[in-house]
Amino acid sequence: MQLREKKKRVYGIPTGSMGDVAFLILLFFLVSTVFTKDKGLKMLLPEKTTDQEKVTVVPENIITLAINPAGEVKVKAAGHDEYLTRQEYDRIRGIVEEKLLERDTLLVISLRASKEAPYSSMVHVLDQVKLAKVTTADGRELSARKISLIPTSEE
Amino acid sequence: MRKSIVRLAAKSDEIPTASTADIAFLLILFFMVTTVFRPTVLRILYQLPDAESTERILIRRNVSYIWVDKDSRIYIDDHIVSVDVLAGKVAPKIWDNPELITMLNVDQDVNYGVVDGILDQLKEAKAFKITFATEFRR
Repeated sequence: MQLREKKKRVYGIPTGSMGDVAFLILLFFLVSTVFTKDKGLKMLLPEKTTDQEKVTVVPENIITLAINPAGEVKVKAAGHDEYLTRQEYDRIRGIVEEKLLERDTLLVISLRASKEAPYSSMVHVLDQVKLAKVTTADGRELSARKISLIPTSEE
Repeated sequence: MRKSIVRLAAKSDEIPTASTADIAFLLILFFMVTTVFRPTVLRILYQLPDAESTERILIRRNVSYIWVDKDSRIYIDDHIVSVDVLAGKVAPKIWDNPELITMLNVDQDVNYGVVDGILDQLKEAKAFKITFATEFRR
């Protein structure tokens, strides 16, 4: 009888195909991933208030931005009273920045849009207000945080 | 001194498949956890306004949507609704998740009066966190 040597079994986790699998998964995610489309201008609405709860703000601290049906904006603030056409919206940012330096955190933006005003005008004006950012002499970053959307019923 | 003869272990040529099942289960688990079902695809014609200060919303699970198309029709939960019933539709969602952000996807040419009506209803439903959906502008 011929004596045969037994084959030794190899023990170990095979890792040869790991790379292929990893690439397959990578390819899958590359093809199927959809990036989130949720983006916009964040706002915090106030609670509905009764007449007794209404807060009075000193007129000097308010910038009123009134939008008419043609999309023109009337900017009314202490020392400012002007009409801006749709092409001049970028001037709103400068006015808000100027008032931010003057009034600091007390500044309130009152945004009034007419019922017939285009929604895009309101968004563009709101955009300009949100873009306004200044650095005070003592190094604080300031932006217009108090933005109030006045209901059209109060026109 | 005599050298001992060491036999070289024969290498296996087969593709190892032992871990394939584990990987497949991991993938299944991943999809079970992350998939959000969307039963219908809305075909609403609307063009969002653009804004430079557009911000991304990172937590999608906290978002509820309202659409307004070119003809000022209001859509919520895949239905066209009138503005008066919006508070009733949104209030239960706020009850379930007080952190809910309401995303307003409104066409840029719609009159602001329509949006104002929606905002009034959202205040009634105590849905104070809102976002006006916009496109990035550079």
